[in-house]
Amino acid sequence: MENIQVDALVVGGGIAGMQAALDLADQGCQVALVEREPSIGGKMIALSKVFPTLDCCSCITTPKMSAVAHHENIQLYTYCEVKSIEENGQGYISKVLQKPRYVIEDACTGCRQCEYACPITVPNHFDSDLGGIRAIRVPFSTAVPQSAVLDMENCLVCGKCEKACPADAIDFSQVAEAFEIETTTVVLSTGFEITPRDAKKEYGAGELHNVIDGLIMERLLAPTGPYGRIIRPGDGKEPESIAYVQCAGSRDETLGVEYCSRVCCMYAVKQAMLISGSLPLADITIYYMDIRAFGKGYEQFFQNARAMGVEFVKAKVASIKQDENQNPVLRVELQEDGSRVEERTHDMVVLSVGLLPAYNPEAVYGIPVEEDGFVAIPAPNFSPCSTNRPGIFATGTAAGPMDIVDSIVMAGAAAAEAVAYIHELEPAEKVPVPAYDD
Amino acid sequence: MTEKSEQKQPATPQSEEEIRIGVYTCYCGGNISDVVSCEKVAKNLRGMPNVVISRTDMAMCSDGGQALIEKDIKENGVNRVVVGACAPSLHEKTFRGTVTRAGLNPYLYYHVGIREQDSWVHHNDRDAATEKAIRLMTTGLAKARLLYDLDSILLKAEKHALVIGGGIAGLRSALDIARRGLRVTLIEKSPFLGGRVAQLESVFPVNTSARELLHPVIEAVMAHPNIDIFTQAEMLSAKGYVGEYQVQIRQQSRGVSDDMAEAAMQACQQEVPDEFNYGLTRRKVIYRAYPGCYPSSPAVDWENYDGQPLVINGQPTVLYNEPKTFDLAVGAIVVATGFNPYEPRQGEYGYGEIPEVVTLPQLIRHLALLGDGEKLEWNGHPVRDVALVHCVGSREIDGVDDPQEDGQVNNYCSRVCCTANLHMASELRDRFPDVNIFNLYEDIRTYGRGHETYYHEALEKMVRFLRFHGDDRPEVTAAPKGDSHPVLVKVRDHLTWGEELEVPVDLVVLAVGFMPRDVDDLVKQLKISRGTDRFLAEVHPKLRPVETAVPGMILAGTAQGPMNIQETVAAASAAAAKVSVLLASGEVQLEPFVAKVDLEKCDGNGACVKVCEYEDAIALETFTVDGHEVQRAVVTPANCSGCGNCVSACPNRAVDVQGWTLAQYEAMVDAITLDIPELMEVAA
Repeated sequence: MENIQVDALVVGGGIAGMQAALDLADQGCQVALVEREPSIGGKMIALSKVFPTLDCCSCITTPKMSAVAHHENIQLYTYCEVKSIEENGQGYISKVLQKPRYVIEDACTGCRQCEYACPITVPNHFDSDLGGIRAIRVPFSTAVPQSAVLDMENCLVCGKCEKACPADAIDFSQVAEAFEIETTTVVLSTGFEITPRDAKKEYGAGELHNVIDGLIMERLLAPTGPYGRIIRPGDGKEPESIAYVQCAGSRDETLGVEYCSRVCCMYAVKQAMLISGSLPLADITIYYMDIRAFGKGYEQFFQNARAMGVEFVKAKVASIKQDENQNPVLRVELQEDGSRVEERTHDMVVLSVGLLPAYNPEAVYGIPVEEDGFVAIPAPNFSPCSTNRPGIFATGTAAGPMDIVDSIVMAGAAAAEAVAYIHELEPAEKVPVPAYDD
Repeated sequence: MTEKSEQKQPATPQSEEEIRIGVYTCYCGGNISDVVSCEKVAKNLRGMPNVVISRTDMAMCSDGGQALIEKDIKENGVNRVVVGACAPSLHEKTFRGTVTRAGLNPYLYYHVGIREQDSWVHHNDRDAATEKAIRLMTTGLAKARLLYDLDSILLKAEKHALVIGGGIAGLRSALDIARRGLRVTLIEKSPFLGGRVAQLESVFPVNTSARELLHPVIEAVMAHPNIDIFTQAEMLSAKGYVGEYQVQIRQQSRGVSDDMAEAAMQACQQEVPDEFNYGLTRRKVIYRAYPGCYPSSPAVDWENYDGQPLVINGQPTVLYNEPKTFDLAVGAIVVATGFNPYEPRQGEYGYGEIPEVVTLPQLIRHLALLGDGEKLEWNGHPVRDVALVHCVGSREIDGVDDPQEDGQVNNYCSRVCCTANLHMASELRDRFPDVNIFNLYEDIRTYGRGHETYYHEALEKMVRFLRFHGDDRPEVTAAPKGDSHPVLVKVRDHLTWGEELEVPVDLVVLAVGFMPRDVDDLVKQLKISRGTDRFLAEVHPKLRPVETAVPGMILAGTAQGPMNIQETVAAASAAAAKVSVLLASGEVQLEPFVAKVDLEKCDGNGACVKVCEYEDAIALETFTVDGHEVQRAVVTPANCSGCGNCVSACPNRAVDVQGWTLAQYEAMVDAITLDIPELMEVAA
């Protein structure tokens, strides 16, 4: 079995993992970054623009993806999963499984000829299943690596891709291969998932045609999105009235999610602003419990949205149904208006769904999670990234809901902790004491 | 001190080489292409002189986009690259890396901003925006034709950082930098370490004791062999550049030696309000911040000591402050100067006028001083009803709230007060079950992990919530004599249909927000900048969240904006990582955009030296030319900022800023003033 020896293993190649890997590598550490998907980029690469600066997401993410791919101190392993980990003196040996791409990664040039030849279309998860994608494909246009991957479950093995490939990169015989990564330290940046679309029965359990979630709206807003504009997925109509239902999956005991997901207020406000840009005549209403615009520049951002005419209504949405024209009908208590209960019809509803943990590290890493399902951090105010195992750190949304800004700072913190951990295991080098003389 | 890195003499365009420009117009995922017709731009550029390739891409900065450039360099002989995209501050560096990977000198790349300078500001006129993009890109081509190889300046870096501030952020940064094997000097203005955290009691999100959290960090910092601590110390000046900043530090005397400290404290009678308890108590001018503080030796408060002799062990003794000043060479500076709690104006919610109006930090100190089992009293009467008011000095609205002294309103959220306030509400209910609590808020922002629990607890413990609007804040007035309570709080409550309620209370607690500290001197010395919220500004919240625009100046903690302890500690560690990135290799690279003198043209008149604002950046030196001794200007690249003052002063055009030469500027100006048809003629 191949054995790779580096200083640090970073598990998860979303924004937190990429930043942690870069911050480690820039400090001179040898890093292995393992990502279970065929491309790095995580959730962030699918977003449109990001608050509070409204930078396009690609502008922030793709250069980091590129930097990870080209950094001389980083070895990138995509489509891999850590299956087990064992202690090795003061470090760890991780057993990693390389899943078969059925494409020879080094040979593939990303020309997409296989994609054009493939006769099978499957829902495109990158576009929140709105559009279609071929069974063999480069995962998305800015994927790193730019290498195709074959979805064997949906493949007919018709061989058209093999014939089309100019690089002879298709290999139907590939099998999963295990290898080992030996490191001193491990950084978990396993990220989050969003509240499943069918989680809340009161909101139609995912059955209503024109009720979407925040991530779908991100794709509708993104320039690389499925339609290139904002339309109702139900019938293609351009919506004239869009409602946001806040805390649709957070602060909700009925779903077992009592915590605040921390990003939904701001992404709703941001999306409202972006929609105002592309559909200037659309009415946008945000039904909320509390607007949590807490970060640097966030309150000002929220106030700008208000000034732009986005309507904020303090109300908890009790239920959503749809009328005969597939218009969502919201039953709301209008708290500021005599606490009247009213049914309001909009063309489209966006559920501001929350953040759920994507991965439980208990079985593989022996690291417990807290009641909320995110990695337990025993002393958050002392060492915000330290888990209960020495040398294993957690960062980004693996350690709880967090926005991009906070994830990036926390990734830096994890890198600092990990480097300090490595350094302290080595014999201390003498650092000359300066002369503090007059 | 500074090495004069050798400048290559013939740093002029390699004229014999054919200039082959690859020019790329980025869609920026729609940011540009929604307004500018990128295809039209690319098509227009295609025919221009020296342009061998003109392409577009959805995102040039993506790996695929960069691969295009690399391929064109390697396979199509492109030797100058121009990308029209976002502002250079965002991705110029990215593309320099791209061309370097393909074997070109990084400075054969030129970046044209057609997003911030074009598509974002001209979205209502697509044709004009497209024309402007062509114009700007043409300017870029003009410069690209005159680009030549440059070498970045490589300098030795001191493996030593200065950390300014001994609160939790400074301590954590210092510790993480030291643990990584670098030297740290930590300076703290006050005589004691611990900053604002030392003044807290139980802290969220896990109800740890603030000092039990803080003290192990202080002890680790004090015990670390790589860290030297100076309390009562301030930075007087800083000069230099990343890798080698020369700083001057002044430290006050502690004032009393350990052997006579206790006797001196006893002898001292002069008292001042104790800032540790936010003025609720008084302390002597020889003092410890709190029992068990670090360092444990008492210190003299020189600002307040009246200079009168104290009778110590029977001897009249006058205490003298003999500050010592020392110079230090450090590679990077971490600014961890913290925050101040907002001090409400006289009369704001009755503060300063009604004795029963206090701030949350004051109440925290009051409860800390209160013995176990003691009743909660204020101003001589028992406290039965308390109003906790959120957002005091935060989320202020321009035109509605009175501006602060500098004319600005605090329009930001202070991030910690909601959870801190609810934590307090819970604690009050636990400790004094008879006390009723009214919580007056705009939005409850218990956003962090574990924070929502405090909201739940407060609800379960029957804390009453009243919701006001930011433009209609509660009013606090003294109750008429004879009323059941001393204070009346009037609030329009939007949880009960906008009803106006009058709540009689015994105590009003103002959850005050964060104010930036007065660090004007530091901002000037370090040439760093503040944001519109007046906190210190980072370069970019996602790309460089803890770095300032000045290389080697790093931010840690609440100097940058409101943060809770957990966030502060994370930011401080992230700052340590950046210091380590800069200094661990022992070398730093500086951009080569510095002045360079053409010795053939220089006549030694010294005009450049006179206008130079930087120390030791340009000076006259004696050369021997044809047996005669002559004066010629010589630049020390490490000290030159590339500002160009010398260029404008030189009557002989003998000085140029590398990478931004007069010839390049002239070509660019010529290009931008051409009409588009003329441009096309040039192209033809």
